[in-house]
This record gives sequence, C-alpha cells and structure tokens, in this order.
Amino acid sequence: MLLKNTWNEFIKILSKPRSYLGVGALTLLIGIIIFAMKADGKSIISFVTASFEQTLTFNGHILNGYLIAFIILQMLIVHVPLLVALVTGDLIAGEAAMGTIRMLATKPISRTNIVLSKFIAGAAYTLFIIIWMGFLALFVSTTIFGTGDVIVLNSDGLVILPEADVLWRFGAGFCVAFLSLLTVSSLSICLSAFAENSIGPIVATMSVIILFTIIGSLDVTVFDTIKPYLFTTHMVSWRSFFEDPVPWSTIRQSVIILVAHNVVLVAIAIVRFNKKDITS
Amino acid sequence: MIKIAQLLLLLALPLLSSAQTVDDILSKVLTKLNSVKDYKVSATIKANIPMIKILPNEATIYFKQKDKFKVESKGITILPKQGFTDINNFLAKKDYIAVINDTVTTGGVKTYLISVIPNSAGGEMILAKLWIDPERSVIMKSQITTKSNGTVTTSYTYGDQVKYGLPSKMVFEIDIKKFKLPKSVASDINKSSAEKKKKIGNKGTITITLTDYQVNKGLSDSLFK
Repeated sequence: MLLKNTWNEFIKILSKPRSYLGVGALTLLIGIIIFAMKADGKSIISFVTASFEQTLTFNGHILNGYLIAFIILQMLIVHVPLLVALVTGDLIAGEAAMGTIRMLATKPISRTNIVLSKFIAGAAYTLFIIIWMGFLALFVSTTIFGTGDVIVLNSDGLVILPEADVLWRFGAGFCVAFLSLLTVSSLSICLSAFAENSIGPIVATMSVIILFTIIGSLDVTVFDTIKPYLFTTHMVSWRSFFEDPVPWSTIRQSVIILVAHNVVLVAIAIVRFNKKDITS
Repeated sequence: MIKIAQLLLLLALPLLSSAQTVDDILSKVLTKLNSVKDYKVSATIKANIPMIKILPNEATIYFKQKDKFKVESKGITILPKQGFTDINNFLAKKDYIAVINDTVTTGGVKTYLISVIPNSAGGEMILAKLWIDPERSVIMKSQITTKSNGTVTTSYTYGDQVKYGLPSKMVFEIDIKKFKLPKSVASDINKSSAEKKKKIGNKGTITITLTDYQVNKGLSDSLFK
C-alpha cells in the first residue's frame, strides 16, 4: 500500500505545473551559465588565478566541461533548494488547502504511511532534479567544452585534480548533494505538516536556509558551537570530494548529520500529521 | 708621484681584468645558448607550492630562437613565468653592466657569481645574479628579480646536452608572498577562522626534469601559433 500510495503521490507531483517550473528554471540557469562560460569563461577563470599568474603560467585545457560542471554545481546548490521546496512544501499543506486531505485519510493506509509516501515521492522528485542537473552540468558541458583536469579553489588554495580522477568525485559529490537537497525536502514536508497552505512552508523553508547560511558564514566565535549542527553547514560537503586528500571523516560526519536531520524532520512530520485535525 | 700612480694601476689591474673576464664569460655562455636554434624536450614537472596542490605532470616543451616558447601537455601544468628564455634575451641585448661579485661553489662546481644590472630602467628586469661555471660556460644558478614577478631563483643541473648549455634538470624557487585567494570564491564555511589562518611558507619550488632533447632539428613557426 505504501508503494502504491507513493506512486500516486509521484503522479500528483508530475501533474502539477510547478514541478516543471523547477526543471525549466534549472535548465535555463544552466544554459545561461554555459553560455556565459563560452562567451567569457577565460576572464572568469583568470579572476581566480590572477594573483598566481603574476609568477606562474597555467598551461593546458583549463576551461573544460568538468570545471564548468563544478562551477554549475557550486553556483546552483544555493538556489536548487528553492526549486525543491516549491514542490515538496506543497505536498501536505497543498492537500489541506484543497480539502483533499480528508479523502486521502479515508484510504486504507495509516497516516504515518501517508507521510512516508509523500517523503519518498519528494525524494524521487529531488533525485530527478539532481540527475537532471548532473546530466546538464556534466554531459552538456563536456560535450561543448571537452574534458580535462579540474582546478578547484578552496580556502587553502588551488587543487588541480587529474582528469582520470574526477568522475568518481562528481558521482560521490552528487550523492551528497542529493542528501543535502533531501534534507531541504524533509524540512519543507515537516513544515508543510504544520501549515494549511503551501506558500507558508515554502517561504519558511527558504527563510530557515537563509538564516542558517548567514549564521554559518558569520566568522563569529559565538556561533562556532552551533555551526557543526546546522544542516546548511553540511550542504556544501559535496565540495570535500574535490579536496586532496579527500577528508573522509568530515564527509562521514556531514552525512551522519544530514541523515539525522532527515530522520528527525520526517519523524516530526509523522507525529504532527498523526495529531493533525483534518475534520474541522 | 709615479710610484703612487703605479700602485693605483697595480690595484686597478684585477678590476680591469675582472671586467674583461665578465664580458668574456657572459659572451661564452651566450654563444653556447645561441648555438641552439630550436629544441623539443620531454619534461616532468613537479610543483611543491604551499597554496597549490598538483600531481607531477608530463609535458613537451618547444623552443625556437629567439623567444618562441610552447608547452604541450595532456593535463594542466604549472610553470614559472620567467626562467626559460628571458636570460638569453636579456644577455643578447648586451645593454647591461656586469660585475663579478665572488667565486662560489654551487653543486660542487666552482662558479663566478656575476651580478648583471640593466642600463635602462624601462625593462622588466631589475637585477640578475648568475652563478656561472667558467669551465663549461653554463649557468649553474640564477636569481632574477623583476618588477612585476618578484624574485625567482633557479638551479640548473646538466647532462648530455651541456654542450648546448641545455639543462637536464631545473629547480625554480618561487616567492609566494604575493599569492592571494579571492575571498568571495574561496570562502569555506566549513572551516573556522583559526583553520583558515594557519601559517603557510613563503617559498615554493617547481622541479622540471628534462629528457629526450631534440636540438636543432628544425621546428616550424606554425607550431607556436
């Protein structure tokens, strides 16, 4: 029954225009980034390498598809949560707003399973978004720009990764990025369980992300104790796969915290939905 | 009075002979370098620079007189901006003052330490210090200070191409004090301010091992476009 209801939930997602809005926006954004890189990519790269190029010269195919894919992932991971929340924030609250939640509750399925099916359907949509993003970022970029070594800039300096050592990093990076977006999906479903209209959970989800991101980026010691527990701190963990050596313990910690967030948020949503008054 | 003049002449003799020797030494080095019309060489580039992590890489280097230079590599390679053709070009202009400062043993070889200062202030180079092996007429070490690129020290090791003055190994020591990361791009919220401020060194090295020289085989100009 859970799987059947999950399939129904997924069909509901597919039937909503907003689901395609996210995919369309993502396609357009990636298209714009690829166009910008094609038009003026070298000056963007030299912005990063300028101080090094006073003394050194970088030879080789620097502006390649893998680098573009990395830049796309870095740019969009901040914005994609909105596209995910736009759909998942509506999953419970949308039913409440339309009044279909009562009909849903008459089905021979527990309320817990209703929330779980919505969570799984939301996860499937998030996975589709990530796969689409990966396809556009990697496949389209490498088709246009070719492949090559990747220059990654982090707070320690430049890391230049050989071409042969890049694809698995992208694969693992996309997996962690999926887990990050899944947390956003769970948060919006959780907030959706508290709301009667879909705008509230979407706006609240984005507000939480913005608030946590600002706290995380403030270099103030008073926040140092809470920063490791904010899910937004770990949303950029996919980048760790592009460090050398890969900080496995940091990634493991991030995965644990993101999974914990998902479990807690879905649990809260289940408890709330089980207690939710849908009769009045 | 005559005795004083003779004494002064006697004292000045080493300086005069030194000035002749400097020109002679540099001229021999330049003649050797100019005997290379072009070359192609396989290079293994290993960079050990505190702010850059890169694995050793293979490349092919092409050179043609007087300043055509090209690096071909499968991946990304890092090379110093100066140190390949600039010494040849600078010495070829002969618009400098050179003095022998000292005799120094470098890499087990007795060398003359020669300071070369350009006559005109308009050029990029401020000072070149060259450690020259007078026996083989090759540069064993150089320290080039330029206006925009700071100071780069290079040590040279020679193999079977010593007759052309072409090294088999070059070690560049690079000043990285000027390296800066754009803050907006490099921000990493996973790292605390204490971690970000960890001290890094001021010097980096790039070691280039050169093998399979093909000298004066005739390289096309189109190769450098």
